[in-house]
Amino acid sequence: MKKAKHNSSVQILTAAGRRKKNKERLGYALRVLMGICFISPLAIGVLFSFVPNEFLNSLPTFDTILQNFTLENYQHLFSSIPVLRYVSNSLTLCLIIISVQIIVSCLAAYAFSCFNFPGKDFFFNLILIAMMIPGQVTTITNYLTVQGMGLINTYIGLCLPYFVGGTAIFMMRQFFLTLPKELKEASLLDGCGDMRFLFRIAMPLAVPTIASLGIYIFIDIYNLYFWPMLVAQDPNMFTVQIGMSMLVSSGAVEYGRVLAGAVISILIPLVAFIIGEGYLIKGMTAGAVKG
Amino acid sequence: MAVRQKKRRKIKKIVYLLILPAMVFLFCFTFYPFLKAIYLSFFVTDTLGNPGTFVGLKNYIRIFTSDGFLASVVATFKFAGIVGVGTFFLSMFFAYFSLENRKGSKVYQTMFALPIALSSVPISAIAIYILGRNGLLNELLGTDIAWLSTESTALFACAAVTIWASVGSSYIFLLVGFRNVDESLLESAIIDGAGYFKRFIKVYVPIASPQIYFVVFLNIIHSFKSFAIVKLLVGAGPNDSTNVLIYAIYSNAFLRGRFETACVYAMVLCAVIFLFSRLQKIFEKRAVHYQ
Repeated sequence: MKKAKHNSSVQILTAAGRRKKNKERLGYALRVLMGICFISPLAIGVLFSFVPNEFLNSLPTFDTILQNFTLENYQHLFSSIPVLRYVSNSLTLCLIIISVQIIVSCLAAYAFSCFNFPGKDFFFNLILIAMMIPGQVTTITNYLTVQGMGLINTYIGLCLPYFVGGTAIFMMRQFFLTLPKELKEASLLDGCGDMRFLFRIAMPLAVPTIASLGIYIFIDIYNLYFWPMLVAQDPNMFTVQIGMSMLVSSGAVEYGRVLAGAVISILIPLVAFIIGEGYLIKGMTAGAVKG
Repeated sequence: MAVRQKKRRKIKKIVYLLILPAMVFLFCFTFYPFLKAIYLSFFVTDTLGNPGTFVGLKNYIRIFTSDGFLASVVATFKFAGIVGVGTFFLSMFFAYFSLENRKGSKVYQTMFALPIALSSVPISAIAIYILGRNGLLNELLGTDIAWLSTESTALFACAAVTIWASVGSSYIFLLVGFRNVDESLLESAIIDGAGYFKRFIKVYVPIASPQIYFVVFLNIIHSFKSFAIVKLLVGAGPNDSTNVLIYAIYSNAFLRGRFETACVYAMVLCAVIFLFSRLQKIFEKRAVHYQ
């Protein structure tokens, strides 16, 4: 009798446990389902980029998608515009901006975090004020400057306004502030100069921060639209985004080619995002909110 | 003593060299263009952006009394309102829904955050396919509405696309905020009999309030700067219904060659953004609950 009672209670427990587990599984499935719903416009775009253009003016059924699965839109895209040229322009732009911005911001952040000097607050406030001026407001006059310098359609003209970023300086400064003072004192005693300390000790320690910064800048610059649209007027200088936007705004919209272009322009940042999601999130949330 | 002083002076020089590149770029591409935009707004410019005759405040008076300006301001705030509210509630919902940090939770987290990596260009391309006259949405709903070229829907359509694009970053911030909630606090709330909804209002919202305020203002300020989606989907829109300030800046400068008008619009946009950043600071100070 006693044993039976014990057994039944165990059964009740496991039943409750199973119910709980089922509930958890259901919750998980629900969340994934919602994620899929949320992301479905993207999935639709990707899927339909493999469907021939003539089926895209009305809703294609699953059968038509499966039977007509084709790379024709991509072939058409690659033969009509120099996609690889655009990609290489975008990557060049990213490479230049990431390297310059990281070096410039490391130098400045090092000064603001490890030294005391007259005017430190003044210069730091200048950076704060600059961060409050929206880039869209300065775009027109920057365009006039770059045009006046004859830098339209050049990489340098495309990059110039992005060589310094407030976020980058802040992130690097925040990291350098975490370095213990003793580390610097000790290396100074060992005869390590200030610059040597930065390049040999501080920056190697900052590699994770630099990595999140790099991914953050990469996605930002790769996806730029307003500035390259103004400066890159020669099709040879188009970035991916500008080249693809030409497909959208060119009168008769050919959906197949537009979707294929969208997929191409999404590809690289998407891979960067999936690989570096942790880094990127760290970069985004660093210093944004003091919770 | 003398040696020490000498060393100090040497350090000082290096420090200014360290911040020099950042400061030079800030001056050339943030402060100078900003001041120049203010300067140009008092002149009549030629189509290349060179200042001609000084007209004082006449540009401002002319623009502030024009119908187009009022419509533009109204469109901007309407757009900001829809995007702000929509993004906020959607990201709150997603973040609270995917609160638990479990083994598979990265799957849906990545899905909700994914649009961060996407540029406005491919998003607009897919949106054109979905929202076009013979696009997907009309097929699904069985309607025949040109969502992007009907006056009553164009702004909403743009806002909806912008919401989709900006939910990701808000989601990340809110998730960080919600996960700050202490396990013990949560347990005592459960013991007190607080249900799923009550726990949200009484525990999660207060603790995550820094992130919540940040996200609310982030989205509003972002919407003021959102150019690519508006330009690619609708332009100024039917009857100027989506002629938001940022688009008016672009069209005045680069489609009509009226740089001084663009500069006045830029000043207004700057004032609006500045106002909202101040509000953000005030709200964060006053209403945020710090533990």
